Amino acid sequence: MNREKDIANYAAIFFAAVSLFFLLFPSVRLAQTARILLSYSLYPSLHYGADYEHFVRNVPGNIIAILRTDQENRVLRDRIKELEISAGAAESLREENRRLSAEMKLSGEVPFRGIWARVVNKNTQDWYGSVFINKGERDGIELNSTVIGFEDGRFGLAGRVYEVYPYFSKVLLITNGVSAVICSGPGGGFEGLAEGRGTWMMKVNYVPEGSDISEGMQLFTSPGGVLFPQGLPLGRVQKVHPKESFMNFISADVAPAVDLGSLREVYVVKRPLPSDIGER
Amino acid sequence: MPFIWDAVVYLLAGILHWWWTANLSFFGVAPNLIFAAALTYAIMARPLRAITMCFFFGVYLDLLGSSLFGAYALIYTVMAYGVHLVKRNIDLVAPFAQIVAAMILTVATMACYQTLSLALAKINPLQLKAFLVEPFLNALAAPVMFSVLAQFRKRLDLL
Repeated sequence: MNREKDIANYAAIFFAAVSLFFLLFPSVRLAQTARILLSYSLYPSLHYGADYEHFVRNVPGNIIAILRTDQENRVLRDRIKELEISAGAAESLREENRRLSAEMKLSGEVPFRGIWARVVNKNTQDWYGSVFINKGERDGIELNSTVIGFEDGRFGLAGRVYEVYPYFSKVLLITNGVSAVICSGPGGGFEGLAEGRGTWMMKVNYVPEGSDISEGMQLFTSPGGVLFPQGLPLGRVQKVHPKESFMNFISADVAPAVDLGSLREVYVVKRPLPSDIGER
Repeated sequence: MPFIWDAVVYLLAGILHWWWTANLSFFGVAPNLIFAAALTYAIMARPLRAITMCFFFGVYLDLLGSSLFGAYALIYTVMAYGVHLVKRNIDLVAPFAQIVAAMILTVATMACYQTLSLALAKINPLQLKAFLVEPFLNALAAPVMFSVLAQFRKRLDLL
């Protein structure tokens, strides 16, 4: 320990003496020679530094520029996301506008007074069974009101209102398993009962044998029905089943006139119904 | 070959100091990385090595300057010796102790350099803004330099 202390003392004295020598006698040849020799320690930084200065000179500025670019990039990325969302919303609105325009035009062809409503909820467990609309008792919706749907420039029977609340209502679709609509062919040539099956397809039963029902035929609501006004498009025959040997009527599969799985706006017909069917 | 590594550290510190003062000084003020390296050696290394390295770090600063060749060499030599005496009683390995030591020693070295300049060359090299700001910058730089060189020592068996 003492030896190390002595060495430290000697070293301090030696280097202090050398420094003082440089300080006090800067013009002496020995001091100048030492200075020249020691100046080679500057060589790496000054010589190579000067050579490569153009690489490192802009490093701080470039780092700041990269950081700024990164921040700008993040802001722009967020902005792009916002714009994509806005563009999506605008496209959706444009599509809705186009659809509503077509429906408004079509509604002029519906010979009934009524009100427009928007489908606000569908139950995935009951996709072809019922939907909720955003109009209710306060808007004049009544129980069993006829509901008309629209799709691609055509309209058709969608169902009837079977629950009415102050601000919304529930619509029983014609594809619901408990729904039944009396229908007829063009010109009222025959009558049958279109029953829902809980899928996108309905089944028409009780069509008298010998009727001219055929695939592709359009069916309408019948004058014999009380709930629905007559003449509304109900659906199109997809397949006619042959008569069973033990029955005296034939049946057919019918696709609804409008796709009930993608209803967005509906038209609720306002017309007086017989008082005795006012209750569900 | 510890001497080789000392030379490497010496040159790297010189290059870093030169690059920093050339490119990252704000309003003409930058941390004195040579001082930070010298202080680190004074704290970490054995006395002979610490005094020697501090002398050469001082020489480096003298060579960068234009007057009083040997002033920084003398001051840093004395500083290394002073730290060698003080560190027996004070733990200078802790960052806070290094910050305090760096501030005090920066002011002390500046004052000594100013005194030597006035006495021997009758010039006044010290700028007020450097005197006011540089102690704080050195106080920030010293623990960083210490931790860097401590990593060197741990991985390369230096100092």
